[in-house]
Amino acid sequence: MKPIPVKVQIPDLLLHCTGGKKQVEVEGKTVQGCLDHLLQTWPLLKVHLFDEEGRLRPHVLIFYNEENIRWLKDLNIPVAAGDRITLLQSVSGG
Amino acid sequence: MSQQLLMVGTEKGAFLIQSDENRENWNLTGPLIKGWKVFDLQLDSRTQPTLFAAVGHFVYGPSIHISRDLGKTWEQMENSPSYSKESGFQLNNIWSVVPGRPEEPDVLYAGVDEAGLFVSEDGGQHWREIESLSGHASRKEWQPGAGGLCCHTILPDPANRQRMWVGISAVGVFRTDDGGKTWQTKNSGVTQVLEGETNKDIGFCVHRMVLDKNDSNRLYQQNHMGVFRSANGGDSWEAIETGLPTTFGFPMVISPTDSNTLFIIPLEKDEFRFSKGGSLAVYRSTDAGDSWHPLNQGLPQSAYVSVLRQAMTVDDSESGGIYFGTSGGQIYYSLNNGDAWQTMPFSLPRIYSLSAATLE
Repeated sequence: MKPIPVKVQIPDLLLHCTGGKKQVEVEGKTVQGCLDHLLQTWPLLKVHLFDEEGRLRPHVLIFYNEENIRWLKDLNIPVAAGDRITLLQSVSGG
Repeated sequence: MSQQLLMVGTEKGAFLIQSDENRENWNLTGPLIKGWKVFDLQLDSRTQPTLFAAVGHFVYGPSIHISRDLGKTWEQMENSPSYSKESGFQLNNIWSVVPGRPEEPDVLYAGVDEAGLFVSEDGGQHWREIESLSGHASRKEWQPGAGGLCCHTILPDPANRQRMWVGISAVGVFRTDDGGKTWQTKNSGVTQVLEGETNKDIGFCVHRMVLDKNDSNRLYQQNHMGVFRSANGGDSWEAIETGLPTTFGFPMVISPTDSNTLFIIPLEKDEFRFSKGGSLAVYRSTDAGDSWHPLNQGLPQSAYVSVLRQAMTVDDSESGGIYFGTSGGQIYYSLNNGDAWQTMPFSLPRIYSLSAATLE
């Protein structure tokens, strides 16, 4: 199986981590592989998405297509052409 | 003639304010690092002039950004301060970035929440935790204050490379005499907020501390519980509150040209945290804290605002330039040692920090 290109949407506050690109493309065979490639290519993102223990920060949302990855037990899900990953901030309250 | 540069850290980004040569007109640039909280912004001119910004966000966490072109472009440091996984601590904020002594131009310090001290010895490229402080014997009993568990004040002794003080809110003042290998609490004489269960030397809520650069045994602090002075490097403290309407407040600065002159901004304690009766005033002492006198000419007298701990600064001019920013986003300044005040024509987000530098 060859790595599949997947588009990743970047929130405005993190554009400085991707050289100003609102959308970047990564490759992987699985969701985890794509996230690994994302952080390898754009390492400044890591501190903003994950805490010291490697946990997703509480108010960061990462969606794989329509799925919130926080609820997925396993990220070794094979990706397919046309899949997308979206980084978002979850801000509750008014 | 020189120009004055004011560096403003706010809740929504950084701003730079540059004066003309007479400091009559001010030009605003920003927001820079837009949308991020900027807790501290310092110009380090020991080698190549570099702006260091302590940056954070509720969602995305803290990091340090630098600019080598006076704010035109910014770069996030890839290796900002970070606790190790094994430490069990979490880095919530970076409150301050402090250049080291002139003779060690690559050294910088960072004070953080959860309370700790980091040092860089390569101009901010890499940082390491000073584990002797965050591993202090009293650490398990440190409790956060309203602003968190934050190490905010860092004072390297200009006369002794082995000595340094740090201030941690709701915990107290610590001093090292051996270059950071060990730290001792230095709070004797300060009114305690709440002692630890077993450690009686913590629970002192220092808000801001300054050092007399001409006599580094002489320290002053604005504390949650009052205003204090030490003549022996922090070994003991005495209250210096004659003339003050309230003893609560956050910022404190010392004149760079007359070290007997200090400025504070008393606030109504401590559930309210705004100027008493709305009467915004800076209090000045010209006798090393023996007495304080109000300065409010030109300041609003219906101003229910706060001034945060790092939001007041002085420039190094002989006439005495003093600047402070409020929780309401206004900046007030005096060019005559506080005798009269003017308002800058800008409304900014909540102001966390102000620092000043002279550009030749």
